[in-house]
Amino acid sequence: MKRTPRLHWISILLGLLVLMCVVSFHAYAAVRPEPVRHTGHRVELPEGTLALAFHGGPDPKWTPRTLERLHTAGIRATFYVTGAQVTRHPDVARRIVAEGHRIGLDGFRAEGDFADPLNVALAQAALADALGVHTRLVGAPQEVDSGDREHQDMGTLVRMSLTEKRGVVRLHDDGSIGGDIVRELVKVPGYRFVLVSDEEPVAASDRERFTGAVTTWSQRNGGLVLALFGTAIGVAALLGLLRTFMQLGLAHTDRRLRRESEEEPPPWFAPPVSVVVPAYNEALNIAATVRSIAANNHLADVEVVVVDDGSTDGTADVAEELDLPGVTVIRQTNQGKPAALNAGVREARHDLLVLVDGDTIFEPDTVGQLVQPFADDDVGAVSGNAKVGNRQGLLGRWQHLEYCAGSNLDRQILHALRCIPTVPGAVGAFRREALDDVGGVSDDTLAEDTDLTMAVTRAGWRVAYRPEAKAWTEAPVTVHGLFRQRYRWSYGTFQAMWKHRRALVEKGPMGRFGILYLLAFHLLLPLLAPVMDLFVLYGFLVADAPLALVVWTVFLLIQTASAGYALRLDGESLRPLWAYPLQQVVYRQLMYVVVIQSLITALHGTQLRWMSVRRTGRLLDAPGGTVPVT
Amino acid sequence: MQVFVDRTGARRVAARLVSWTVACGLLVFVAAVGGTLLGAW
Repeated sequence: MKRTPRLHWISILLGLLVLMCVVSFHAYAAVRPEPVRHTGHRVELPEGTLALAFHGGPDPKWTPRTLERLHTAGIRATFYVTGAQVTRHPDVARRIVAEGHRIGLDGFRAEGDFADPLNVALAQAALADALGVHTRLVGAPQEVDSGDREHQDMGTLVRMSLTEKRGVVRLHDDGSIGGDIVRELVKVPGYRFVLVSDEEPVAASDRERFTGAVTTWSQRNGGLVLALFGTAIGVAALLGLLRTFMQLGLAHTDRRLRRESEEEPPPWFAPPVSVVVPAYNEALNIAATVRSIAANNHLADVEVVVVDDGSTDGTADVAEELDLPGVTVIRQTNQGKPAALNAGVREARHDLLVLVDGDTIFEPDTVGQLVQPFADDDVGAVSGNAKVGNRQGLLGRWQHLEYCAGSNLDRQILHALRCIPTVPGAVGAFRREALDDVGGVSDDTLAEDTDLTMAVTRAGWRVAYRPEAKAWTEAPVTVHGLFRQRYRWSYGTFQAMWKHRRALVEKGPMGRFGILYLLAFHLLLPLLAPVMDLFVLYGFLVADAPLALVVWTVFLLIQTASAGYALRLDGESLRPLWAYPLQQVVYRQLMYVVVIQSLITALHGTQLRWMSVRRTGRLLDAPGGTVPVT
Repeated sequence: MQVFVDRTGARRVAARLVSWTVACGLLVFVAAVGGTLLGAW
């Protein structure tokens, strides 16, 4: 495999981090906590000298009125603003400075949060963006309280302001009364008015301005980003629910129809069958696979053709040493799975061909069950029911649940819609005529099974699903192995979808339903999944945690119930269901990482090679899987 | 030739260019903003 592109992951992670920061900052700035007053340094002023210090602004309604009062009185004052308010009303902040008043900082969200350096940095950034300045006036000095928050009586307010006959007088410009006090104070003789500090603000640095532009944009547009998030979640939730309801509804109908047909079963169909087993380095599994096929109870001849595709681990020798009747082993240089399948099909004697991977265990009736739908001449291919043969450990259980609740339920829906897109390589059967119609197995994609099934459907054949035809396959036992397998499946499926894109404008179920289904649920839904995770994280960490928990739990319960129903339909125990909620934290993420990686690889045009998965040969959950595979 | 595979290599070069530009742009962006705020913190 060529080195796959990875740089995009840095961009994706950074992009998600930035988005998370934008919405979190928006939420942070929207909350205005209770102001906390901190007594700062003392400013010594001579008797009869007052410095008016306004807090709580800039306010779009009351600050201009206060400025008019100051202008009328011909005095200058100091405005201790908060950064979030400056971002909300930059014009008012600019007017304060333009009229000769001094700007200081009270904090970012509320008075007093300048005690936290990050809030000061945010407030300075807001100032830098609105005014292009950096102020050293952070936090008000010790003040004489005018009492404008507690009292209304003007006489009391003026008296309180002049208690010390000097000093910094604390006022507010987020209400009407601050300006009224100014009007009355200037009438009292013997006082002059100064600024808290003569020190001018300095020009903000470029970095501070840039940061200010970003924080300002985030504070203003975070809501929009959040709305986009919400829309994405809405679409994802809708798709998720739609899929669940389709799964439940159609699977139920499908089962009902099957039960009805079982009441008057058609005559048992028993044609001769050839089973083709392409194998590459399957020495650990091939003996168990071939033995399980040879032990079939089909009522007609079953021939097995093992095609060793240039294995280096003695796969062909293991198969030959079994010396089973009806088993032929052919060897070829390594040419890939499609070539091995084609070679096997050429070698096979019969017209019904079961194609099976070299790591799969058949039950005795699998071959017989698999060929039953071929009694209908319109059926060109049949999908069996692939089951995970190694369910030990969390990874095995998760894959088992996914096979039942995902793939098999999907297959039942698509069977009902007559557009199964994949007859799995693990267990599937084809009519030779259908294979001939599409020119055999193509090596155009890494998912030759999906490619072949789509081609067969487009050629006018019907593809059926036979859940009773069970085959046990070895699932990857490591996260890395699972990633490689799913990467190949996902990338191969996209290749097949693209190759057969013309189906969208053709008559037939593949374009009308099959490709659209794959687009919606195998491409769009996984691409929206990271946004969902981000939103859940946002809900828990920043927004309303209890609400996020309730919504998340409801979704999880619906999905778990759906998985439980799928297990029941498949005749499986409900016991592994406990592992389903845990899927949400590693497995689900791995699945969408695979889809994103596949999409990026497709855009890059990188040539991917076959990615083999390390085998253990331990299919402990399969019938006969505990038999040593020597 | 497999589906999606870039025969000429031009698409791969263009995609790499976009990848590097986006990744570097984001890194500079995050470093500038994060650096200012964390520096103050």
